[in-house]
Amino acid sequence: MKKIALLLALLMTLSVCFVGCDSKDTLVVGITDFAPMDYKDADGNWIGFDADMAKAFAESMGMEVEFVEIEWDNKIAELDAGTIDVVWNGMTLTDEVKGGMDCSNPYCNNAQVVVVASDKAAQYQTKESLAGLKFAVEAGSAGEAAVKELGNQYNSVKDQATALMEVAAGTSDACVIDLLMAGAMIGEGTSYPDLTYTVKLTTEEYGVGFKKGSEYTAKLNQFFKDAYADGSMMETAKKYGVQESIIAQ
Amino acid sequence: MFVEVLSALNEGFLKTLELFGLTLAGALPLGLVIAFGSMSRFTPLKALVRTFVWIIRGTPLMLQLMIIYYFPGLIFGNNIWGTGEGGRFIASIAAFVLNYACYFSEIYRGGIQGVSKGQYEAGQVLGMTKTQVFFRVVLLQVIKRILPPISNEVITLVKDTSLARIIAMQEVIWAGQAFMKSDGIIWPLFFTGVYYLIFSGILTLMFGYTEKKLSYFRE
Repeated sequence: MKKIALLLALLMTLSVCFVGCDSKDTLVVGITDFAPMDYKDADGNWIGFDADMAKAFAESMGMEVEFVEIEWDNKIAELDAGTIDVVWNGMTLTDEVKGGMDCSNPYCNNAQVVVVASDKAAQYQTKESLAGLKFAVEAGSAGEAAVKELGNQYNSVKDQATALMEVAAGTSDACVIDLLMAGAMIGEGTSYPDLTYTVKLTTEEYGVGFKKGSEYTAKLNQFFKDAYADGSMMETAKKYGVQESIIAQ
Repeated sequence: MFVEVLSALNEGFLKTLELFGLTLAGALPLGLVIAFGSMSRFTPLKALVRTFVWIIRGTPLMLQLMIIYYFPGLIFGNNIWGTGEGGRFIASIAAFVLNYACYFSEIYRGGIQGVSKGQYEAGQVLGMTKTQVFFRVVLLQVIKRILPPISNEVITLVKDTSLARIIAMQEVIWAGQAFMKSDGIIWPLFFTGVYYLIFSGILTLMFGYTEKKLSYFRE
Protein backbone atom coordinates (compact mmCIF):
# COMPACT_ATOMS: atom_id res chain seq x y z
CA MET A 1 0.00 0.00 0.00
CA LYS A 2 2.83 2.32 0.89
CA LYS A 3 4.33 1.78 -2.55
CA ILE A 4 1.11 2.68 -4.30
CA ALA A 5 0.79 5.82 -2.22
CA LEU A 6 4.35 6.78 -3.02
CA LEU A 7 3.80 6.14 -6.70
CA LEU A 8 0.70 8.32 -6.70
CA ALA A 9 2.54 11.10 -4.92
CA LEU A 10 5.37 10.83 -7.44
CA LEU A 11 2.99 10.92 -10.39
CA MET A 12 1.35 14.01 -9.00
CA THR A 13 4.68 15.78 -8.57
CA LEU A 14 5.74 14.83 -12.07
CA SER A 15 2.60 16.10 -13.73
CA VAL A 16 3.17 19.34 -11.87
CA CYS A 17 6.75 19.85 -13.08
CA PHE A 18 5.65 19.87 -16.68
CA VAL A 19 3.50 22.89 -16.03
CA GLY A 20 6.21 24.79 -14.21
CA CYS A 21 8.58 24.99 -17.14
CA ASP A 22 8.77 28.56 -18.32
CA SER A 23 11.84 30.58 -19.18
CA LYS A 24 12.37 34.13 -18.06
CA ASP A 25 11.62 35.88 -21.33
CA THR A 26 8.03 36.40 -20.26
CA LEU A 27 6.82 39.12 -17.92
CA VAL A 28 3.87 37.67 -16.05
CA VAL A 29 1.45 40.45 -15.11
CA GLY A 30 -1.07 39.83 -12.36
CA ILE A 31 -4.36 41.64 -13.02
CA THR A 32 -8.07 41.58 -12.33
CA ASP A 33 -10.86 42.59 -14.66
CA PHE A 34 -10.80 46.31 -13.87
CA ALA A 35 -11.87 48.73 -16.58
CA PRO A 36 -10.40 51.05 -17.79
CA MET A 37 -7.03 49.78 -16.54
CA ASP A 38 -7.15 46.08 -17.46
CA TYR A 39 -10.09 44.53 -19.28
CA LYS A 40 -10.90 42.35 -22.28
CA ASP A 41 -11.82 43.56 -25.74
CA ALA A 42 -14.46 41.77 -27.83
CA ASP A 43 -11.88 39.21 -29.01
CA GLY A 44 -10.83 38.37 -25.45
CA ASN A 45 -7.48 40.20 -25.55
CA TRP A 46 -6.43 42.22 -22.52
CA ILE A 47 -6.48 45.96 -23.12
CA GLY A 48 -6.72 49.07 -20.98
CA PHE A 49 -4.32 51.76 -19.86
CA ASP A 50 -2.34 49.46 -17.57
CA ALA A 51 -2.42 46.52 -19.97
CA ASP A 52 -1.11 48.63 -22.86
CA MET A 53 1.62 50.15 -20.71
CA ALA A 54 2.62 46.68 -19.48
CA LYS A 55 2.87 45.46 -23.06
CA ALA A 56 5.06 48.44 -23.99
CA PHE A 57 7.26 47.95 -20.91
CA ALA A 58 7.81 44.26 -21.66
CA GLU A 59 8.58 45.10 -25.26
CA SER A 60 11.16 47.69 -24.17
CA MET A 61 12.98 44.89 -22.35
CA GLY A 62 12.60 42.47 -25.25
CA MET A 63 10.18 40.27 -23.29
CA GLU A 64 6.82 38.75 -24.01
CA VAL A 65 3.94 39.69 -21.75
CA GLU A 66 1.46 37.26 -20.19
CA PHE A 67 -1.62 38.47 -18.31
CA VAL A 68 -2.90 36.29 -15.49
CA GLU A 69 -6.06 36.99 -13.51
CA ILE A 70 -5.47 36.75 -9.77
CA GLU A 71 -7.58 36.88 -6.66
CA TRP A 72 -6.86 40.46 -5.52
CA ASP A 73 -6.58 39.60 -1.81
CA ASN A 74 -3.67 37.29 -2.59
CA LYS A 75 -1.57 39.71 -4.64
CA ILE A 76 1.42 39.81 -2.27
CA ALA A 77 1.41 36.02 -1.89
CA GLU A 78 1.31 35.70 -5.70
CA LEU A 79 4.39 37.94 -6.06
CA ASP A 80 6.31 36.22 -3.28
CA ALA A 81 5.44 32.74 -4.56
CA GLY A 82 6.68 33.73 -8.02
CA THR A 83 3.39 32.88 -9.71
CA ILE A 84 3.39 36.41 -11.13
CA ASP A 85 6.17 38.98 -11.70
CA VAL A 86 4.22 42.18 -11.25
CA VAL A 87 0.89 43.55 -10.03
CA TRP A 88 -0.19 46.16 -12.56
CA ASN A 89 -3.85 46.82 -12.08
CA GLY A 90 -4.75 50.32 -10.91
CA MET A 91 -3.29 49.51 -7.53
CA THR A 92 -3.61 52.17 -4.85
CA LEU A 93 -0.31 52.75 -3.05
CA THR A 94 -1.46 51.99 0.48
CA ASP A 95 0.85 51.28 3.42
CA GLU A 96 0.02 47.60 3.08
CA VAL A 97 1.05 47.59 -0.57
CA LYS A 98 4.19 49.65 0.02
CA GLY A 99 5.18 47.39 2.91
CA GLY A 100 4.71 44.16 0.98
CA MET A 101 6.04 45.08 -2.45
CA ASP A 102 8.64 47.12 -4.27
CA CYS A 103 6.54 49.87 -5.82
CA SER A 104 7.10 52.06 -8.86
CA ASN A 105 6.66 55.82 -8.77
CA PRO A 106 2.97 56.78 -8.79
CA TYR A 107 1.65 57.27 -12.32
CA CYS A 108 -2.06 58.00 -11.92
CA ASN A 109 -4.35 59.86 -9.49
CA ASN A 110 -7.55 58.39 -8.18
CA ALA A 111 -10.16 59.33 -5.60
CA GLN A 112 -12.42 57.42 -3.24
CA VAL A 113 -16.02 58.42 -3.79
CA VAL A 114 -19.22 57.80 -1.84
CA VAL A 115 -21.93 55.96 -3.77
CA VAL A 116 -25.57 56.31 -2.71
CA ALA A 117 -29.00 55.82 -4.25
CA SER A 118 -29.66 58.59 -6.81
CA ASP A 119 -32.94 59.68 -5.20
CA LYS A 120 -31.15 60.42 -1.92
CA ALA A 121 -28.02 61.89 -3.48
CA ALA A 122 -29.08 65.51 -2.86
CA GLN A 123 -28.85 65.03 0.93
CA TYR A 124 -25.33 63.67 0.85
CA GLN A 125 -23.20 66.24 -0.93
CA THR A 126 -20.85 67.07 1.96
CA LYS A 127 -18.70 64.99 4.29
CA GLU A 128 -20.70 66.16 7.32
CA SER A 129 -23.99 64.95 5.84
CA LEU A 130 -22.69 61.37 5.77
CA ALA A 131 -22.91 60.94 9.56
CA GLY A 132 -25.05 57.97 10.55
CA LEU A 133 -24.86 56.22 7.19
CA LYS A 134 -23.87 52.58 7.28
CA PHE A 135 -21.17 51.85 4.68
CA ALA A 136 -20.00 48.83 2.73
CA VAL A 137 -16.34 48.86 1.72
CA GLU A 138 -13.88 46.47 0.15
CA ALA A 139 -11.84 44.77 2.87
CA GLY A 140 -8.36 46.25 3.03
CA SER A 141 -9.11 48.93 0.44
CA ALA A 142 -8.34 52.63 0.49
CA GLY A 143 -12.11 53.08 0.80
CA GLU A 144 -12.11 51.18 4.08
CA ALA A 145 -9.41 53.47 5.45
CA ALA A 146 -11.42 56.52 4.37
CA VAL A 147 -14.58 55.33 6.12
CA LYS A 148 -12.62 54.47 9.26
CA GLU A 149 -11.46 58.07 9.32
CA LEU A 150 -15.04 59.31 8.93
CA GLY A 151 -15.95 57.22 11.98
CA ASN A 152 -19.03 55.69 10.41
CA GLN A 153 -20.17 52.11 10.91
CA TYR A 154 -19.18 49.84 8.04
CA ASN A 155 -19.15 46.27 6.74
CA SER A 156 -16.00 45.00 5.02
CA VAL A 157 -16.96 42.93 2.00
CA LYS A 158 -14.98 40.94 -0.52
CA ASP A 159 -14.53 43.48 -3.30
CA GLN A 160 -15.82 46.78 -4.64
CA ALA A 161 -18.43 45.07 -6.79
CA THR A 162 -19.91 43.42 -3.70
CA ALA A 163 -19.88 46.78 -1.91
CA LEU A 164 -21.97 48.22 -4.76
CA MET A 165 -24.36 45.30 -4.58
CA GLU A 166 -24.83 45.96 -0.84
CA VAL A 167 -26.03 49.48 -1.62
CA ALA A 168 -28.29 48.29 -4.44
CA ALA A 169 -29.77 45.62 -2.15
CA GLY A 170 -30.24 48.15 0.65
CA THR A 171 -28.14 46.10 3.07
CA SER A 172 -25.85 49.12 3.38
CA ASP A 173 -26.76 52.80 2.94
CA ALA A 174 -23.67 53.76 0.98
CA CYS A 175 -20.35 52.41 -0.20
CA VAL A 176 -16.96 53.85 -1.00
CA ILE A 177 -15.24 52.81 -4.23
CA ASP A 178 -12.65 54.10 -6.70
CA LEU A 179 -13.68 57.06 -8.82
CA LEU A 180 -12.43 55.33 -11.98
CA MET A 181 -14.48 52.28 -11.14
CA ALA A 182 -17.59 54.27 -10.25
CA GLY A 183 -17.36 55.86 -13.67
CA ALA A 184 -17.57 52.46 -15.34
CA MET A 185 -19.89 50.52 -13.04
CA ILE A 186 -22.87 52.64 -12.10
CA GLY A 187 -25.54 54.49 -14.03
CA GLU A 188 -27.25 53.68 -17.33
CA GLY A 189 -26.60 50.27 -18.87
CA THR A 190 -25.43 48.60 -15.67
CA SER A 191 -27.31 46.74 -12.93
CA TYR A 192 -27.06 49.96 -10.91
CA PRO A 193 -28.94 52.63 -12.89
CA ASP A 194 -30.26 54.12 -9.63
CA LEU A 195 -26.91 54.69 -7.96
CA THR A 196 -24.72 57.74 -8.20
CA TYR A 197 -21.59 59.09 -6.54
CA THR A 198 -21.38 62.25 -4.47
CA VAL A 199 -18.54 63.15 -2.09
CA LYS A 200 -14.85 62.62 -2.86
CA LEU A 201 -13.36 61.42 0.41
CA THR A 202 -9.67 61.08 -0.33
CA THR A 203 -7.39 61.26 -3.30
CA GLU A 204 -4.73 58.67 -3.82
CA GLU A 205 -2.16 57.42 -6.27
CA TYR A 206 -1.79 54.31 -8.37
CA GLY A 207 1.49 52.43 -8.65
CA VAL A 208 2.89 49.18 -9.98
CA GLY A 209 4.16 46.51 -7.56
CA PHE A 210 7.02 44.03 -7.87
CA LYS A 211 8.43 41.45 -5.50
CA LYS A 212 10.70 42.94 -2.81
CA GLY A 213 14.21 43.47 -4.17
CA SER A 214 13.12 43.15 -7.79
CA GLU A 215 15.36 44.53 -10.51
CA TYR A 216 12.30 45.61 -12.51
CA THR A 217 11.30 48.52 -10.26
CA ALA A 218 14.10 50.85 -11.35
CA LYS A 219 13.64 49.80 -14.96
CA LEU A 220 9.95 50.64 -14.85
CA ASN A 221 10.54 54.07 -13.29
CA GLN A 222 12.95 54.83 -16.13
CA PHE A 223 10.43 53.48 -18.64
CA PHE A 224 7.69 55.73 -17.21
CA LYS A 225 10.02 58.73 -17.50
CA ASP A 226 10.81 57.97 -21.14
CA ALA A 227 7.20 57.22 -22.04
CA TYR A 228 6.03 60.44 -20.39
CA ALA A 229 8.73 62.47 -22.10
CA ASP A 230 8.02 61.17 -25.61
CA GLY A 231 4.25 61.55 -25.16
CA SER A 232 3.42 57.86 -25.64
CA MET A 233 2.08 57.58 -22.08
CA MET A 234 -0.36 60.45 -22.61
CA GLU A 235 -1.39 59.01 -25.94
CA THR A 236 -2.29 55.69 -24.30
CA ALA A 237 -4.06 57.55 -21.49
CA LYS A 238 -6.23 59.46 -23.98
CA LYS A 239 -7.22 56.20 -25.62
CA TYR A 240 -8.80 55.08 -22.33
CA GLY A 241 -10.04 58.44 -21.08
CA VAL A 242 -7.71 58.70 -18.07
CA GLN A 243 -5.50 61.55 -19.33
CA GLU A 244 -6.77 63.91 -16.60
CA SER A 245 -5.42 61.60 -13.91
CA ILE A 246 -1.91 60.92 -15.20
CA ILE A 247 0.94 62.09 -12.96
CA ALA A 248 3.92 63.78 -14.58
CA GLN A 249 7.03 61.58 -14.39
CA MET B 1 -26.09 40.18 -23.54
CA PHE B 2 -27.90 37.00 -22.46
CA VAL B 3 -26.08 34.92 -25.08
CA GLU B 4 -22.77 36.45 -24.12
CA VAL B 5 -23.33 35.66 -20.44
CA LEU B 6 -24.43 32.11 -21.18
CA SER B 7 -21.40 31.36 -23.29
CA ALA B 8 -19.08 32.72 -20.58
CA LEU B 9 -20.90 30.71 -17.91
CA ASN B 10 -20.82 27.58 -20.09
CA GLU B 11 -17.09 27.95 -20.43
CA GLY B 12 -16.75 28.39 -16.68
CA PHE B 13 -18.98 25.43 -15.94
CA LEU B 14 -16.89 23.27 -18.27
CA LYS B 15 -13.93 24.03 -16.00
CA THR B 16 -16.11 23.16 -13.00
CA LEU B 17 -16.99 19.83 -14.60
CA GLU B 18 -13.36 19.09 -15.46
CA LEU B 19 -12.34 19.77 -11.88
CA PHE B 20 -15.24 17.62 -10.65
CA GLY B 21 -14.46 14.68 -12.96
CA LEU B 22 -10.71 14.66 -12.41
CA THR B 23 -11.16 14.97 -8.65
CA LEU B 24 -13.37 11.87 -8.62
CA ALA B 25 -11.01 9.99 -10.93
CA GLY B 26 -8.16 10.69 -8.53
CA ALA B 27 -9.87 10.65 -5.15
CA LEU B 28 -11.97 7.47 -5.47
CA PRO B 29 -8.93 5.17 -5.96
CA LEU B 30 -6.62 7.18 -3.70
CA GLY B 31 -9.27 7.01 -0.99
CA LEU B 32 -9.15 3.21 -1.10
CA VAL B 33 -5.36 3.28 -0.70
CA ILE B 34 -5.71 5.61 2.29
CA ALA B 35 -8.47 3.40 3.74
CA PHE B 36 -6.17 0.36 3.64
CA GLY B 37 -3.42 2.46 5.20
CA SER B 38 -5.68 3.52 8.05
CA MET B 39 -6.64 -0.12 8.70
CA SER B 40 -3.07 -1.40 8.45
CA ARG B 41 -1.79 -3.68 11.20
CA PHE B 42 1.61 -1.99 10.85
CA THR B 43 1.10 0.61 13.57
CA PRO B 44 3.47 3.40 12.36
CA LEU B 45 1.82 3.40 8.92
CA LYS B 46 -1.63 3.40 10.48
CA ALA B 47 -0.67 6.32 12.77
CA LEU B 48 0.84 8.24 9.88
CA VAL B 49 -2.18 7.78 7.63
CA ARG B 50 -4.66 8.63 10.38
CA THR B 51 -2.71 11.79 11.25
CA PHE B 52 -2.79 12.78 7.59
CA VAL B 53 -6.54 12.20 7.41
CA TRP B 54 -6.99 14.21 10.60
CA ILE B 55 -5.02 17.15 9.17
CA ILE B 56 -6.86 17.16 5.86
CA ARG B 57 -10.31 16.71 7.37
CA GLY B 58 -9.49 19.12 10.16
CA THR B 59 -8.60 22.15 8.04
CA PRO B 60 -10.69 24.10 5.53
CA LEU B 61 -10.35 23.10 1.90
CA MET B 62 -10.01 26.78 1.03
CA LEU B 63 -6.87 26.98 3.15
CA GLN B 64 -5.51 23.77 1.64
CA LEU B 65 -5.93 25.24 -1.84
CA MET B 66 -3.88 28.28 -0.88
CA ILE B 67 -1.21 26.18 0.84
CA ILE B 68 -0.82 23.84 -2.11
CA TYR B 69 -0.68 26.68 -4.61
CA TYR B 70 1.45 29.24 -2.76
CA PHE B 71 3.70 27.24 -0.40
CA PRO B 72 6.08 25.78 -3.00
CA GLY B 73 7.06 29.30 -4.04
CA LEU B 74 6.68 30.97 -0.63
CA ILE B 75 8.42 28.42 1.58
CA PHE B 76 10.71 26.53 -0.78
CA GLY B 77 11.42 29.35 -3.23
CA ASN B 78 10.44 27.12 -6.12
CA ASN B 79 7.11 27.79 -7.77
CA ILE B 80 6.28 24.40 -9.29
CA TRP B 81 2.95 25.54 -10.70
CA GLY B 82 4.22 27.83 -13.43
CA THR B 83 2.44 31.06 -14.05
CA GLY B 84 -0.49 30.38 -16.34
CA GLU B 85 -4.02 29.23 -15.67
CA GLY B 86 -2.99 25.59 -16.22
CA GLY B 87 -0.97 25.58 -13.02
CA ARG B 88 -3.88 26.94 -11.02
CA PHE B 89 -6.08 24.20 -12.43
CA ILE B 90 -3.64 21.40 -11.58
CA ALA B 91 -3.04 22.80 -8.09
CA SER B 92 -6.82 22.81 -7.57
CA ILE B 93 -7.07 19.20 -8.68
CA ALA B 94 -4.24 18.20 -6.33
CA ALA B 95 -5.95 19.89 -3.38
CA PHE B 96 -9.38 18.46 -4.17
CA VAL B 97 -8.07 14.93 -4.76
CA LEU B 98 -6.20 14.90 -1.43
CA ASN B 99 -9.16 16.37 0.44
CA TYR B 100 -11.84 14.14 -1.04
CA ALA B 101 -9.64 11.02 -0.89
CA CYS B 102 -9.52 11.44 2.89
CA TYR B 103 -13.29 11.71 3.19
CA PHE B 104 -13.79 8.76 0.82
CA SER B 105 -11.24 6.71 2.78
CA GLU B 106 -13.33 6.99 5.92
CA ILE B 107 -16.44 5.94 4.02
CA TYR B 108 -14.57 2.96 2.58
CA ARG B 109 -13.22 2.07 6.01
CA GLY B 110 -16.70 2.15 7.51
CA GLY B 111 -18.00 0.01 4.65
CA ILE B 112 -15.22 -2.56 4.87
CA GLN B 113 -15.22 -2.82 8.64
CA GLY B 114 -18.99 -3.08 8.63
CA VAL B 115 -18.92 -6.43 6.84
CA SER B 116 -19.35 -9.09 9.51
CA LYS B 117 -16.55 -11.47 10.42
CA GLY B 118 -18.75 -14.39 9.46
CA GLN B 119 -18.47 -13.45 5.80
CA TYR B 120 -14.67 -13.72 5.90
CA GLU B 121 -14.85 -16.98 7.83
CA ALA B 122 -17.33 -18.44 5.38
CA GLY B 123 -14.98 -17.56 2.51
CA GLN B 124 -12.06 -19.17 4.27
CA VAL B 125 -14.05 -22.32 4.95
CA LEU B 126 -14.76 -22.53 1.22
CA GLY B 127 -11.01 -22.45 0.60
CA MET B 128 -10.71 -18.90 -0.80
CA THR B 129 -7.56 -16.85 -0.33
CA LYS B 130 -7.75 -13.52 1.48
CA THR B 131 -7.71 -11.62 -1.83
CA GLN B 132 -10.46 -13.79 -3.26
CA VAL B 133 -12.59 -13.24 -0.19
CA PHE B 134 -12.13 -9.49 -0.48
CA PHE B 135 -12.98 -9.20 -4.17
CA ARG B 136 -15.65 -11.92 -4.47
CA VAL B 137 -17.43 -11.70 -1.14
CA VAL B 138 -16.71 -8.47 0.71
CA LEU B 139 -16.37 -5.88 -2.06
CA LEU B 140 -19.87 -6.28 -3.49
CA GLN B 141 -21.40 -5.74 -0.09
CA VAL B 142 -19.11 -2.79 0.55
CA ILE B 143 -20.07 -1.08 -2.71
CA LYS B 144 -23.72 -1.40 -1.93
CA ARG B 145 -23.28 -0.02 1.57
CA ILE B 146 -21.07 2.92 0.73
CA LEU B 147 -23.06 4.15 -2.24
CA PRO B 148 -25.38 6.48 -0.28
CA PRO B 149 -22.60 8.21 1.70
CA ILE B 150 -20.41 8.41 -1.42
CA SER B 151 -23.22 10.01 -3.41
CA ASN B 152 -23.59 12.53 -0.61
CA GLU B 153 -19.90 13.48 -0.88
CA VAL B 154 -20.05 13.59 -4.67
CA ILE B 155 -22.92 16.05 -4.61
CA THR B 156 -21.06 18.15 -2.05
CA LEU B 157 -18.08 18.09 -4.39
CA VAL B 158 -20.15 19.62 -7.20
CA LYS B 159 -20.57 22.74 -5.10
CA ASP B 160 -17.18 22.68 -3.36
CA THR B 161 -15.48 23.17 -6.74
CA SER B 162 -16.44 26.82 -6.35
CA LEU B 163 -13.79 27.16 -3.62
CA ALA B 164 -11.05 26.92 -6.26
CA ARG B 165 -11.74 30.53 -7.18
CA ILE B 166 -9.64 31.53 -4.16
CA ILE B 167 -6.53 30.75 -6.22
CA ALA B 168 -8.14 32.30 -9.30
CA MET B 169 -9.18 29.04 -10.93
CA GLN B 170 -11.73 30.35 -13.40
CA GLU B 171 -14.76 28.16 -12.76
CA VAL B 172 -18.39 29.10 -13.17
CA ILE B 173 -18.76 31.39 -10.12
CA TRP B 174 -15.65 33.28 -11.25
CA ALA B 175 -17.19 33.62 -14.70
CA GLY B 176 -20.40 34.97 -13.16
CA GLN B 177 -18.58 37.38 -10.91
CA ALA B 178 -16.55 38.71 -13.81
CA PHE B 179 -19.72 40.40 -15.10
CA MET B 180 -20.26 41.98 -11.71
CA LYS B 181 -16.73 43.37 -11.62
CA SER B 182 -16.38 44.62 -15.15
CA ASP B 183 -19.88 45.48 -16.36
CA GLY B 184 -21.74 46.07 -13.10
CA ILE B 185 -24.23 43.31 -13.94
CA ILE B 186 -25.32 41.15 -11.03
CA TRP B 187 -27.62 38.45 -12.36
CA PRO B 188 -24.99 36.16 -13.97
CA LEU B 189 -23.51 35.43 -10.54
CA PHE B 190 -26.83 34.23 -9.18
CA PHE B 191 -27.70 32.45 -12.40
CA THR B 192 -24.75 30.10 -11.86
CA GLY B 193 -26.96 28.42 -9.24
CA VAL B 194 -29.07 27.01 -12.07
CA TYR B 195 -26.03 25.14 -13.42
CA TYR B 196 -25.30 23.56 -10.04
CA LEU B 197 -28.94 22.63 -9.53
CA ILE B 198 -29.31 20.95 -12.90
CA PHE B 199 -26.06 19.05 -12.56
CA SER B 200 -26.69 17.84 -9.02
CA GLY B 201 -30.21 16.90 -10.12
CA ILE B 202 -28.79 14.67 -12.84
CA LEU B 203 -26.37 13.11 -10.35
CA THR B 204 -29.17 12.46 -7.86
CA LEU B 205 -31.17 10.61 -10.52
CA MET B 206 -28.10 8.61 -11.53
CA PHE B 207 -27.32 7.57 -7.98
CA GLY B 208 -30.96 6.67 -7.37
CA TYR B 209 -30.91 4.43 -10.43
CA THR B 210 -27.60 2.80 -9.43
CA GLU B 211 -28.83 2.15 -5.90
CA LYS B 212 -31.86 0.38 -7.32
CA LYS B 213 -29.66 -1.74 -9.59
CA LEU B 214 -27.47 -2.64 -6.63
CA SER B 215 -30.29 -3.89 -4.43
CA TYR B 216 -29.13 -7.42 -5.15
CA PHE B 217 -29.13 -8.75 -1.65
CA ARG B 218 -31.93 -8.22 0.77
CA GLU B 219 -30.54 -7.93 4.23
